[in-house]
Amino acid sequence: MTAARRRTAFVALLALCVVGAGVAVLAGLGSGGAAKGGSTGALADAQQTRRPVVLYRTGDRSQGPGGQLALASLAQPGTPATALHLSCGRVSYAPGAGLCLTQAKGFAAGYEADVFGADLKVRHRLAVEGVPSRARVSPDGRYGAVTLFVTGHSYAAAGQFSTDTTLIDMRSGREAAQLERFAVTKGDRQLTALDMNFWGVTFARDSDRFYATLATGGKTYLVEGSVRGRTARVLHENVECPSLSPDGTRIAYKKRTGPASRPWHLTVLDLATMHETPLAETRSIDDQVEWLDDRRVLYGVGGDVDVAAADGTGRPARFFTGGGSPTVLSWAARTPAS
Amino acid sequence: MYQVSDSKALLRGHRRLLAARSTPAGGRVSRTVVLLGLTSLITDISSEMVVTVLPLYLVAIGGFSPLAFGFIDGLYNGATALMGLASGMIGDRFRRHKETAATGYGISAVCKLLLAVVGTGVSAIGAVVLLDRAGKGIRTAPRDAMISLATPRDQLGMAFGVHRAMDTTGAVLGPLLAFALLAAAPLAFHTVFLVSFFLALLGVGVLVLFVEQRGPVAGAQAPERPPALSGAFALLRLPRYRALMCAGAALSLATASDAFVFLALQKELDLGTSLFPLLFVASSGTYMLLAVPAGRLADRFGRGRVFLAGYALLLGVYLAVLSPLGGWLLLVVALGLLGAYYAATDGVLMALGSTVVPEEVRGSGLALLGTATSIARLVASVAFGALWTLWTLNGAFIAFGAALVVATALAGFLLVRAPEPAA
Repeated sequence: MTAARRRTAFVALLALCVVGAGVAVLAGLGSGGAAKGGSTGALADAQQTRRPVVLYRTGDRSQGPGGQLALASLAQPGTPATALHLSCGRVSYAPGAGLCLTQAKGFAAGYEADVFGADLKVRHRLAVEGVPSRARVSPDGRYGAVTLFVTGHSYAAAGQFSTDTTLIDMRSGREAAQLERFAVTKGDRQLTALDMNFWGVTFARDSDRFYATLATGGKTYLVEGSVRGRTARVLHENVECPSLSPDGTRIAYKKRTGPASRPWHLTVLDLATMHETPLAETRSIDDQVEWLDDRRVLYGVGGDVDVAAADGTGRPARFFTGGGSPTVLSWAARTPAS
Repeated sequence: MYQVSDSKALLRGHRRLLAARSTPAGGRVSRTVVLLGLTSLITDISSEMVVTVLPLYLVAIGGFSPLAFGFIDGLYNGATALMGLASGMIGDRFRRHKETAATGYGISAVCKLLLAVVGTGVSAIGAVVLLDRAGKGIRTAPRDAMISLATPRDQLGMAFGVHRAMDTTGAVLGPLLAFALLAAAPLAFHTVFLVSFFLALLGVGVLVLFVEQRGPVAGAQAPERPPALSGAFALLRLPRYRALMCAGAALSLATASDAFVFLALQKELDLGTSLFPLLFVASSGTYMLLAVPAGRLADRFGRGRVFLAGYALLLGVYLAVLSPLGGWLLLVVALGLLGAYYAATDGVLMALGSTVVPEEVRGSGLALLGTATSIARLVASVAFGALWTLWTLNGAFIAFGAALVVATALAGFLLVRAPEPAA
């Protein structure tokens, strides 16, 4: 090849590369991942008018760790959901304060827990180490709880992962406590094992009492703890991702019953009698369920959200398609249980 | 594609710099070296932008754990070293350094395109990343052989300095470009992969279309038959080569990887993990600026001396970490010394190697040298991690500091006893 032809060939290659990269950038800008548009006032409006709604994340995980939030009416089912101007991987909300686990932007290649208000404006950002898994806000919005995978990426392989559960003071946006540092008792024995992992926090109405999963020695337990006391005690065995009913009497959770390929059966535990009720859902569900009311629970399955009766009767039904991480906001003063 | 015009401006800058400083004796690096530098610059933008976002992509989309990724990454680096040895030999045997290097660059380019289309399956991505590393392993030794073969002996230090400066420029620009793209279009990983692919393609284009390979020993002096593969290992019988390899390996065994230095700085100064990439940018930026001056110093005052002085700078890094220095001062001193250490050792080692390896086995000789030092560095990393776990971070630095003093003394002894021949 002569020098002139080489130059021509290079100019052609350069043109191809410029055009190709340009198209790729334009396509990327077009697809986007952040919330585009969406209402900024719908959540505050629902809160003010006490209109019962369910807040959830749209899309599925294949779109990345985040999805645009949406608000669907519970009073008038079937009305189209309202898209909100905020994107999160996991979301939880209580009147006044929400927790949004999302990918950090810019130079940081990690995740952050964002505390947002009814106006969907982020008030505090807290960088977190690990991959977000569960988020819950206490009913009065005082504390948030975040579970992250530090190693491993799935709850399915027992003993193959470790988690880190942090309580966040929602007012200051700072870390309030780490469950791994709590004093844990089982019966009258103090647990001191190094391999203690906590995940899936659920708060009682007083925001001090909470329930969570404790894994140690290859077994999982339900613990009941006190945020102020920095203590927790074991209540029951084989409980993962507990969720306290609005009336505070029952815990819905994942009970490990099957092989590693389909390990869990959704079950409800009566805290007064410790009686277990398996739900009618036969598929293995990996989600921290959300109570729709005192009779029904919601849970994510295959990128959609289903509903099942909490007393084990009936058949599960589709609640809405395309989404996850539902938070039920009834705004009602729930029956005090504590 | 502003980065391409950027790199061209940079290239012009380099040329002006070199022209301005060129000595009457003709101390200007050859066109081949500049073109190989440009290839590396473009390719490094391409590969570093992917390297930067890959962990994020795998963890965010693919469901990898960061720890698992780190482990796989380590294994792949080992495979890269062995691949380099093979490609160095092939380049020598068929006297086709350019074609061998182009194959390596080409494989890596194709991998960027594959990343954009294979989806997020763990095994598929793993295979593509392995292939990409193989490409990197293949291209390094023949490229360094071409740089050394295109450069007069007394300018080797500067030639490698110019190449490494350009290479590092790409390594600094790549992550910046990747994050700029992700900031503009969050989660648009495919855009990053595709832009990376087109850049890689351009890099291959520069190499294939413009770089001319000068054969080993031009013209009639060429040996009648190509060297046998065993020729590369016969190198080990050369006392000077053996001395250099032992010196390089001993020093590498006492080298704490940058990751540990960065971690120590992060711990000491309580920096957020988000600042981690900036530490890399700061030390690489210093490396970039000092690579050419260090190469010139090496040519003038002796490559062995500058090489050993580089390890004295590394000792300075350890001492800075251990010292009561804190705040910005510690950051500036430690990162500056780290960058200067790289400038004085990385390219200079290859320049040193080029003076002792006969031309017909230049590729294998440099590859073997590179492989020995990178394996020693891998061992050092494991040892450092173990010392840190069993002892303390400061304890590990003290132990490595002591080892470095011993290794530098040993290397000095070896290099003095077997000095590089006069030009």
